[in-house]
Amino acid sequence: MRVDLVLRYVGVVMLFIAGFMMLAVGISYASGADSAFYPLLLSALLTALLGAFPQIFVDRKGQLSTKEGFAVVVGSWLVACVVGMFPYLIWGGEFNLMNAWFESVSGFTTTGATVLDDIEELPRGMQFWRMATTWIGGMGVVMFALVILPSMGRSKMTLSNVEMSTLAKENFRYRTQIIVQILLVVYVGLTILSTVLLKLAGMNWFDALCHGMSAAATSGFSTKNASIAHFNSPLIETILIGTMLVAGIHFGLIYATVTGKRNNLFRSEVTRCYLGIVAGLSVLVAASLFAAGLYPTLSASFRHAFFQVASLISTTGFATADTNVWTPFAVVLLIFASLVCGCAGSTSGGIKVNRLVLAVKMMLARMKQQRHPNAVIRIRLDGVMQENDMLHAVTVFIVAYMMLLFIGSLVGTLCGLDPTTAFTGSIACLGNVGPGFGAVGSMDNFGAMPAFMKGFDALLMLFGRLEIFGLIQLFFMKWWR
Amino acid sequence: MTGMRKRVTIGFLSIVCLLFISGMLSFVELSRLSRATDDILKASRRNIELAKEMLDAAHELNVALIRRTVFAETKADSLCRASLGRLENVLSVAQAEALDKSFLDSLAFTTTEMKILVDGYLASHERDVRPQPAVLPDAADSLALNSLLQPVAPPADRWYTEEFEGVYNRLSAAVKAYMTSTQSSLAPRTEQMKKNAYRAVTPVLISLLVMIAIVLMFYYFMSIYCVGPIVEMNAGLGRYLSFRTPFAVKGECKDEVLELKEKIDTLINQARQSKN
Repeated sequence: MRVDLVLRYVGVVMLFIAGFMMLAVGISYASGADSAFYPLLLSALLTALLGAFPQIFVDRKGQLSTKEGFAVVVGSWLVACVVGMFPYLIWGGEFNLMNAWFESVSGFTTTGATVLDDIEELPRGMQFWRMATTWIGGMGVVMFALVILPSMGRSKMTLSNVEMSTLAKENFRYRTQIIVQILLVVYVGLTILSTVLLKLAGMNWFDALCHGMSAAATSGFSTKNASIAHFNSPLIETILIGTMLVAGIHFGLIYATVTGKRNNLFRSEVTRCYLGIVAGLSVLVAASLFAAGLYPTLSASFRHAFFQVASLISTTGFATADTNVWTPFAVVLLIFASLVCGCAGSTSGGIKVNRLVLAVKMMLARMKQQRHPNAVIRIRLDGVMQENDMLHAVTVFIVAYMMLLFIGSLVGTLCGLDPTTAFTGSIACLGNVGPGFGAVGSMDNFGAMPAFMKGFDALLMLFGRLEIFGLIQLFFMKWWR
Repeated sequence: MTGMRKRVTIGFLSIVCLLFISGMLSFVELSRLSRATDDILKASRRNIELAKEMLDAAHELNVALIRRTVFAETKADSLCRASLGRLENVLSVAQAEALDKSFLDSLAFTTTEMKILVDGYLASHERDVRPQPAVLPDAADSLALNSLLQPVAPPADRWYTEEFEGVYNRLSAAVKAYMTSTQSSLAPRTEQMKKNAYRAVTPVLISLLVMIAIVLMFYYFMSIYCVGPIVEMNAGLGRYLSFRTPFAVKGECKDEVLELKEKIDTLINQARQSKN
């Protein structure tokens, strides 16, 4: 492996992150050079220096191999999380080393879980930096950098192939450069649209921008301690439900729908299933809440149920209510939403609806096979026949996901957490959802967790974001040769 | 960027820049920490000075009132007013300088209470000693009515013990509370100083970490782009001179090392041609 070349590409990503830090510096300066100005400026300088150094030494030579592409992607995510915590550490406040690491990883992986008790205490520059980490992470740190990089030939394709999961590539029938541009157009478009709508709904420009960025990235970071409950506005909640649900759909399908292409989201089996799950869960949760008398009217029950289901299934994690006081039936349904999550090719995390649909189809096929042992049964998704390799990968991914959840819960209980907190906290981190239940409920945070558990949860977030196997490769020494 | 000299220069300049930044940061942050500590000490000293002045003024007022009530010295009136004025002045200075004004609220309230009480007492006794105007026959009724409506000043010793002493004790307690306020706010200030110390150290530590990363990268790049090729060329040249094995060294970067390798190749070719 050519480590120098890997360092060069990771350096480009760092320069890109330094650019975003400078944007946060600008916001801080515009807010009267608040207390975040100096930490952000220093962090930007150090990150830029760190990123520029390999550019000076390493010439662009040859194309990246797949293994080098993996190293660039995983290295970029790790380094982004490390430099992302510089502003937090320098600023101080509630951030110690572990808190800063947790917050930075939570931002870049778009988990949106926080350790802060008082988010509103943060100066505007720092608030914007939190949102910037999450917005960069939503698109993928490497994918974002690919947009600004000049032509890189096959290297660009290698990097985008590694960054995007195999399932996510399904609905793209374009060249790599076009795919990257489509992703960017949809992502930026969705952010701008939700920002403008939130402003029109009554938020100020800063809050609208921050929540727009957070919703498009399906992160769930908010500028308010009470999250979206702070605004108590059905209009704002409706706009955010729309943004979160759209952000959980394959971006290629959204582009195809907007540009009037044939393979649009209305024809997509996965999207129909995703929206069907949202509708079904919302109705069931609302009925459960209304029957338990938690809300006075059915419409109020539906309002909160729909928001929470959309928030959890898209892995955003915004909150309008304390779900800890909801009925056990509703809680189990919400845990299901946190496990399944959005569609492949979107900014959401989790197992993804595509895998769920394939797993169900595999089960049905297995039952059919038992009835007709000689039958040749093919599994199709959106009319495309699925190869055995893909089906195998789906099965392995789901098994690995469940094993990690089990390990996470085990570590949580070892650290002294109650089973609900340990299990749902692991689901929230591995699926990049944000809130869980128990001590890490929608109106609580991860601040009270033991430091070791925070570090472990941050690792789970990275596993979830890199779809498990990307990160696991790093732990095998043979791979580095 | 090509050219080994440029690369090495930039590498070293980056390290120097980081060293400079780390040094400047530690200087700035430690100066800030030192200023914060100095401010706390100054505030504490000033607080004690002001409290002492207030206690002196209150004591003077007390003495003047004793002279007025026990010995009926009318000259003590001006002394009372002067002491009250001094107390008010010191209080307004303390209010202007205080960072946390909440400690001064009860003191300001008690001072106002004292001023109203003493002013009332002095005014009533001034009225008592003022010569009475000649009473006209037709005004006799109205004067009688006036004297009924006017509050009757209580005896001086009773006023002192029942009214003044309580307020005076409260005033002294409030001044003492103000005096210890800096000490009682020392815990949060120390906490703040701890935070300041953390803030002073963290940027320097981060700069040092970045510098370590850059030095490691510099070492790595120098060894693969400079030291490695030179060692390889040296070994290749040695093999050629000893065993006449072909000089086969790969050049990756377009820099002086590649030029050197090409020149050695040319030299070997020329030597071969001249032999032939």
